[in-house]
Amino acid sequence: MKLIMSDKPVHIDISGTENIKHIDLSSMKIANCVGCFGCWTKTPGKCVIRDDATKVYPYIAQSDSVIYVSHIKYGGYDSIMKTMLERAIPIQQAFIRIHNGETHHIQRNVKTKEATIIAYGSTDPEEQDIFRRLISRNAKNMCFKNYEVIFVPESEIEETIHKTLRKWEK
Amino acid sequence: MGKIMILNGSPRAPKSNSKQYSELFAKYSSLPCDYFNIGRSNHEELIKKMRNYSDLLIVFPLYADSLPVGLLNFMKSLESNPPSCKPVVSVLINCGFLEYEQNNVAVSMIKYFCKRQGYSIGSILMLGSGEAILTTPLRFIAVNAIKRLSLSICKRDYKESGVTMPLPKWLFKLAATSYWTRYGKRFGISKTEMSVMEIEKEESKT
Repeated sequence: MKLIMSDKPVHIDISGTENIKHIDLSSMKIANCVGCFGCWTKTPGKCVIRDDATKVYPYIAQSDSVIYVSHIKYGGYDSIMKTMLERAIPIQQAFIRIHNGETHHIQRNVKTKEATIIAYGSTDPEEQDIFRRLISRNAKNMCFKNYEVIFVPESEIEETIHKTLRKWEK
Repeated sequence: MGKIMILNGSPRAPKSNSKQYSELFAKYSSLPCDYFNIGRSNHEELIKKMRNYSDLLIVFPLYADSLPVGLLNFMKSLESNPPSCKPVVSVLINCGFLEYEQNNVAVSMIKYFCKRQGYSIGSILMLGSGEAILTTPLRFIAVNAIKRLSLSICKRDYKESGVTMPLPKWLFKLAATSYWTRYGKRFGISKTEMSVMEIEKEESKT
């Protein structure tokens, strides 16, 4: 399973590729995580807020390759992508493991991933550096085996997705 | 004389650890403090009040390696509607992991915001093991760090620091297991149930 998750509509042709799913988060209704820990301590593996996020995190867990497309804000993901990533914590347990010398949450059935993060909206090297450091942290908490961060102008998002798709085909 | 605005950026503000950290801060502050939760619809009201304060302390937990989205949205409101007088911005961030350094990226994001939007940065306190530390005999470590944070802001002698439980990682892991097992028990959920590897399946096609 491969996943393309974007914070805006993108026009990409994935017809004929059954194992690639595209999710446009901007078309979905996803509330903010309320930090209730219900997905860890009341209904483990399942968020208590039954909105569109529950259709997304199972795909995040099942995918061995992901492309995340997000606008950057203050060196991090902008609100749409960040809201979804916060709502994806049902795929982890409350319990702690030691991973790469640091304490992290134990993952449930989450595949390790090849991740490509396509970030748009910033040409500032300082902001891009913070974003790179963020993805490096995500790699440890979100099961990225390998990752690539690509900064692009908004006009080049689709071309960059297609380039990554061609890499997936190889 | 200065005055401190404390903003709680936790998604579960009224029941959060960040609220307890804020209360401790206010208790040890020699300057008057006013406390507010960042909600979804009170941004304008908070920004209007902000001009009355010399210092702003943002208290929040690390969320998915960075800022909780509610706080991010508030910062975006501040960018589009800045206060007439900008306070010095200090940060008290906590994460549930042992390593307080896991908060570094979130702190960099706040500093970046401040630099771009013309706010001076004050003191930074990063707490590790912040989910549980106040419920343990090691509580004093967090309390003392918050006292020092309070002193630094009140004296305008701004500092950056980080503290956590002085435990080896394996022991922290055991302590976390015990903490979360007790947490689940309150809802009648066993450790085995909490450890389930299955994630719910997609319910309907997107």
